[in-house]
Amino acid sequence: MTSEPDTASVPVATEKHRPRWAETLLLLVRNPMAIASGLVLIGLLVVGLFGQWLAPYGHNEQFVGGQLEAPSGSHWFGTDEAGRDVFSRVLLGAEVSLRVGAVAVGISLVAGVLIGLLAGYYGRWLDDALMRFMDMLFAFPALLMAIAVLAILGRGENNAMIAIGIVYTPIFARVTRASVLTVREDVFIRASRSSGAGDARIIFRHVLPNAAPPIIVQTTISLAFAILSEAALSFVGLGTQPPNPSWGRMLSEGRGFIEHAWWMALFPGLAIFVTVLAFNVLGDALRDVLDPRQRSTLSGKGAR
Amino acid sequence: MAAAALGTALVLAACDTGEDVDVDQDGSGAENGATDEDGDAAPVQGTFVAAISGEPDQFDPHVTSAYASFQVLENVYDTLVVPDDEGEFQPSLATEWTTSDDGLTWTFTLRDDVVFHDGSEFDADDVLYSFNRIIDEELANAYRFASVDEITAPDAQTVEITLTEPTPALLDNVGGFKGMAIIPEGAADEYDLATEGAGTGPFAMGSPGASGISLTAFEDHWGGPPSVDQVEFRYISEATTALTSLRTGEVHWTDNIPPQDIESLQSEDGIEVGVSPSVDYWYLALNQDVEPWDQLEARQAVAYGINREQIVDVTQFGAATVNQTAIPEDNFWYHDYAPFDHDPDQARDLLDSAGVEEGQSLGIMVVQDTEGVQAAQVMEANLADIGISVQIEQEPSSTWLDRQAEGEFDAFMWSWLGNLDPFGFYHAQHYSEGGFNAQGYNNPEVDDLLEQAASETGQDARKALYDQAAEMIVDDVSYLYLYNPDVVQAWAEGVEGYEIRPDRAINFENVTVAE
Repeated sequence: MTSEPDTASVPVATEKHRPRWAETLLLLVRNPMAIASGLVLIGLLVVGLFGQWLAPYGHNEQFVGGQLEAPSGSHWFGTDEAGRDVFSRVLLGAEVSLRVGAVAVGISLVAGVLIGLLAGYYGRWLDDALMRFMDMLFAFPALLMAIAVLAILGRGENNAMIAIGIVYTPIFARVTRASVLTVREDVFIRASRSSGAGDARIIFRHVLPNAAPPIIVQTTISLAFAILSEAALSFVGLGTQPPNPSWGRMLSEGRGFIEHAWWMALFPGLAIFVTVLAFNVLGDALRDVLDPRQRSTLSGKGAR
Repeated sequence: MAAAALGTALVLAACDTGEDVDVDQDGSGAENGATDEDGDAAPVQGTFVAAISGEPDQFDPHVTSAYASFQVLENVYDTLVVPDDEGEFQPSLATEWTTSDDGLTWTFTLRDDVVFHDGSEFDADDVLYSFNRIIDEELANAYRFASVDEITAPDAQTVEITLTEPTPALLDNVGGFKGMAIIPEGAADEYDLATEGAGTGPFAMGSPGASGISLTAFEDHWGGPPSVDQVEFRYISEATTALTSLRTGEVHWTDNIPPQDIESLQSEDGIEVGVSPSVDYWYLALNQDVEPWDQLEARQAVAYGINREQIVDVTQFGAATVNQTAIPEDNFWYHDYAPFDHDPDQARDLLDSAGVEEGQSLGIMVVQDTEGVQAAQVMEANLADIGISVQIEQEPSSTWLDRQAEGEFDAFMWSWLGNLDPFGFYHAQHYSEGGFNAQGYNNPEVDDLLEQAASETGQDARKALYDQAAEMIVDDVSYLYLYNPDVVQAWAEGVEGYEIRPDRAINFENVTVAE
């Protein structure tokens, strides 16, 4: 977001004197939903980074004779069938979710954007070849393909990241390509081409920054889906491996105890729900402020 | 090849033993007098529906290794002898048997009133054909005939088995479970045994479907027709579905009961829960070809470091009995020996003297999605206390077997099911050249004891030998024995004539349903 303003100096509406990123941020903070979801995500990030110190107990610390205890002062979210503190495991699970989400989206972001840039910028046969391949990947239901990839690579957290990364690559490729197509023929691109700039320079200095807004929005939303996918994969036993805490796995383990210990499934379920919701709301808000048409309405409203 | 051999480990592990057919039930045929007019006047007890949690891979008794298959086959096939619920062998297709004085020749006298489901009559040639099929085609259970020199049929009603050395476990070997079923001569060519049945049992097999299989009462069964017309097996892997079906009366019986639900089920009206100790055991084996587990102290440290009671609580919710040897408490061969208490201090001392450093890693290989995963998590927590860092390695059973065969593991955890004779419990697992000795245990004294015990015919002397061997196996931590799980099954109130058995064999011959 912050890398876009300087190069965009030519045709994109330069509003007054404020830099564009500040403008964007200003618009964003006027949206209470965005603030709420942003705060949730900051909280989540803190938990993810410092969970080890925040959690009262270890992720596999077991209380002998303290199995399936209902939520209480000493165990806020109760204990599970092995006598482990559910609150600690939910906190520590945040790190797993965020790590898998970030790495998986990182993989699809890099791969997808690169493919999208090449396809969009060079067009012709390269475009056809790359995008038809992406279409092929896209044709599989996301989760089914992730499971298929894991069947080949073997289960585990790292492989789950790769699988999710592969599954979401086509979306980034499509979004990037579409965005590149709209800026490819812009005057400033042609200008720099005629002044002798090489392809690489044009792509990364001019095309990418101007094609970035939809990619940013897509990243936020994909984070939500990646976290959800990790939970789903762990739920069916393919993702994070025990005894490491994963919300999806905790949910699936808790399912067998739903009649005896509702807290085992409820709290990890809530954690998934809140996290995914926050990412989605933030993504929506970002889309609103980054889309030029929406943006002018928003600024208009704000001015009044 | 090693992998194939280990496949059999799971065969044993997966197979049940024995049939509940009681020869003395001849009388029951007479009681069901109404059925004597062949079928038409069959007792109108209708269909008995059983929900099993597994799905049979196929129905060839000599080939399959899946417990789910044997649950069905138990009701379709017969063996020469069958274990009763105490593990003692009773007549079945053989009415009596004698052993020569040198213990090298066993003579079985066969029943003369047995017909197969296809109408052909049963005689000694069928026994020869069945056993030779297992031996010649080197099928999963061929090892059970390892000491067999020759099988002959002096006449149509007699089978003679000649051995190379005395084999007290022979009855178990030829009749321990339905993997040793008798099929009609030529059946393997005549039928596709994977999908068709050709037995002598109380029920004839229908064609297998994707969600279940139906068995029909066999009116000409030698023990008299069974008490219900039909048994329908349904494959229900989801425990909640199985329990709901049981509650609504859709199924009469299920073995799909999560341990945490036992207690609440027991107090539920309309449902009866059967809990019985089993002959199965769970164990951990440390690879003795890998440092530091080649050192006795390091292995013993693990034995002191784990908390068996906690493992049983977490994996079985108490529906199991901790045991430091293989054979369960109420078995004749049980030997009370439990040298290891949960003692982290002792464990740490042993690790020190073995020169094992803090943070030593230990990969525990478990078959994915089994209760072993639960148990391994408890071990992770236990062993973290003594400075061993456990990695849980979940593998599909095929990969698991490969890695076990290749010796590519620090430790593995699994269970053995359905053993009856101490030979089955100890021999192949701990004999230095044993087929299932994947952990690399080699103790000449134990070898000696196991060899003697295998051919010792005096039961008490034999038990003394196995007791001695068991103590050394436990002390040396060849296997680190954990517990004997319970068999847990539930059925609808009003179901009579069903008996829960320690070897998990399920037999519906005499079952009746109220109404």
